[in-house]
Amino acid sequence: MNSSTALVRVHELTKTFGATRAVRSVSLSFTEGEIIGLVGENGAGKSTLAKMMAGVYTADSGTIEFNGSEVSFRSPFEALRTGVAMMAQEIMLVPDATVIENVFLGSTPRRGIFPNRSKMRSDFKELLELTKFELDPDAVVSRLRLADQQKVEILRSLSRNAKLIIMDEPSASLTADEVARLHATIREIARRGVTVLLISHFLEEVLELTTTTIVMRDGEVVKVGPTKDETIDSLVAGMVGRSLETRYFETDSAATHQVRFAAEGLTNTSLHDISFEIHEGEILGLAGLIGAGRTEIARAIFGADALESGSVTLEGEKLSVTSPRDAIKQGIYMIPESRKEEGLILEASISDNMMLSTLKRYRKGGSLSASKLDKRAIELASRVDLRYSKISQSALSLSGGNQQKILFGRAVEVAPKVLIVDEPTRGVDIAAKRAIHQTLLDLAKSGMSILFISSEIEEVLGVCDRVLVIHQGKVQAQFTAPFDQQQVVAAFFGQTSGVKND
Amino acid sequence: MIEKLRSYGIVAVFGLLFVVLALSSPSFLSWQNAANILDQSSILFIMATVLTLCIIAGIFDLSVAATATASAIMTVNAINAFGMVLGVIVGVGFGGVLGLLNGLGIVGTNVNSFIGTLATSFAFRGLGLILCSGGLVGIADKSVADSLRSAFEGKFLGIKGAIYIALIFSAIVGLFLSRTIWGRNVYAVGGNAQAAFLAGIRTNRILISCYVISGIGAGLAGMIYAGRYGSGATNAYSDTIAFTAIAAPVVGGVSVFGGSGSIWRGILGILTFALIGNGLNLLGVDTTYQLTALGLLIFAAVAADQVFRRSRG
Repeated sequence: MNSSTALVRVHELTKTFGATRAVRSVSLSFTEGEIIGLVGENGAGKSTLAKMMAGVYTADSGTIEFNGSEVSFRSPFEALRTGVAMMAQEIMLVPDATVIENVFLGSTPRRGIFPNRSKMRSDFKELLELTKFELDPDAVVSRLRLADQQKVEILRSLSRNAKLIIMDEPSASLTADEVARLHATIREIARRGVTVLLISHFLEEVLELTTTTIVMRDGEVVKVGPTKDETIDSLVAGMVGRSLETRYFETDSAATHQVRFAAEGLTNTSLHDISFEIHEGEILGLAGLIGAGRTEIARAIFGADALESGSVTLEGEKLSVTSPRDAIKQGIYMIPESRKEEGLILEASISDNMMLSTLKRYRKGGSLSASKLDKRAIELASRVDLRYSKISQSALSLSGGNQQKILFGRAVEVAPKVLIVDEPTRGVDIAAKRAIHQTLLDLAKSGMSILFISSEIEEVLGVCDRVLVIHQGKVQAQFTAPFDQQQVVAAFFGQTSGVKND
Repeated sequence: MIEKLRSYGIVAVFGLLFVVLALSSPSFLSWQNAANILDQSSILFIMATVLTLCIIAGIFDLSVAATATASAIMTVNAINAFGMVLGVIVGVGFGGVLGLLNGLGIVGTNVNSFIGTLATSFAFRGLGLILCSGGLVGIADKSVADSLRSAFEGKFLGIKGAIYIALIFSAIVGLFLSRTIWGRNVYAVGGNAQAAFLAGIRTNRILISCYVISGIGAGLAGMIYAGRYGSGATNAYSDTIAFTAIAAPVVGGVSVFGGSGSIWRGILGILTFALIGNGLNLLGVDTTYQLTALGLLIFAAVAADQVFRRSRG
């Protein structure tokens, strides 16, 4: 599609929330079949811009033209009818409905007043052929894994015959092969003339997939140009406004030979005979595909899930852990995978969230001293480099990266002997990510043993002393720094080629 | 700004209502009228207190009226069996036990609290029916009945004794909620039970404790009924009281989604209801309109909660 007529043209779009100007006078145009990457740090205004184009927000000023005529969407429904679909960062599905019902929700093929089930089936099949997705149309969505739920969202956008599909961090929760398939899908739909606006924190993905790249910073577009002229460093420089070293720092290992923690033969419905040790001051990485069982290991150690057999030893003593409370008492703490669902009380203040596990330490007589709690929370906030204005502001009001830092603050406060960290940097911007890595290294240096789970391989290899690759609920391989990335990734897929080096 | 409106909007409404009534009805500002308003509200203060607690913890207890009714009957029976002091303790404790049953049953089976307590409210009312053999039970000893009545109905500084019990109970629950670890944990569980669990909080215990306190509050209401009337019957408290007590914190600005709010908001809600009823009476408005006005107010409060929630999306 080399036509130069613009499919979408936005002109001086502006949106203000309270005192923050989220998007400032942004003008852009997209042509048919183009894949556009939109990058920027969290809070740069990417999602707000996208939401205005998709009818979720109304712009304060500025215009949007679609196919040459001005439009003003008052709802996502109107945007959809015109041909703009958006896949939000948070999955927006009806959890108790089936896959096929969700895909055609709001646009069900009908026969009179009845749904046309046979047409639904055939349309669904066509969509699957187009995308090469494997999905059971009759599966209930709430039982699907996150990655599969996301596929349902993609199918839904495609089923609306959207001309512009906006994807906000679509690959954040996908495994490597699923990402590859998503990319193939994006290319395929673009070939068919659909324009895709891709918001992503994965710069490699943007460089590989897109034709045009837009860089935003502080609500403004700072750079638009052909992707082929960009590199990771140039994108990052644009995003942060200064040239930032993006490569990971060398791990300054604090690991000793003292075994702090040992898991032996952990077995339950999703784990088979998992054994490993963590040394004092060591960061042990758990790598692998989504669904391999990494989170399940963490939850089992932490007492959040039950074990059928296996034992856990801390400093030579066998532990009996049947609840998170037991685990915390005995010196194990976990920062859970999903900060919003499992980690934070979003409506509560930064201080309340940080002090949640350790209130007992601040008891004076029968009651709590709020000022002492706040004072300590402020100390913790600076320890973890939290960016906030008031310690009493709600966790909800912070960006994802800063929300994650609250959880680290809580972990610092709990001061466990073993800290489990599950996907701490998902969806956070580069600056926050670096701050989180630094916190992890600092904690290890102070002697804490850390079990670090992440789906981002560069991060695992950059921060950990040792890495276990988990595959289908078993330990597939073990690697010690310095790592060979290819070998590690091969182990993700069950290929060890005999390198079980330890 | 919007946050403040959500938090203090109802205070402004209450203040406005107060000023309007004070200006338009000369008898409104009298000490006598204030005492009247309070006297009519003692049971609702207790009920609103426990339901505010429940809503903050993310649960509902629809069974408070039934529990209070069964407790009233139990109090009378226990007084007849063990004498006044022990009888009152048993009667109130019975409410706590029913609350514990609610908690163990609902938390243990993970049933939705709304439906679970709806079910137990039938069972508890039925239990009351069994305890009074289907009729009315009375306190046999006349002197005990008289001293209880004077304790709850008799006035101290112009206000009935029952009001003091209600206010002390509300204050204690309010203090525990705002000052103790238990209180913080209640907010945490109501705000995000999963996060609280993973943070090491025994979420089940917290929830059960809320049901127990709810039962104790209902037990107090039962005791007051038994004392006031010297008797107990299955129609002691109607379920409308439970619904009013759920609506009060919501009108007072407590989010129905749990995790935020305070006890005083529940009290403010009850006072607002009382003010509307009292004011319309004083202004000579037909009582027919009162329920409608109340209903619209409750709806407006819930709608406001939802709108404010969305605007922060």
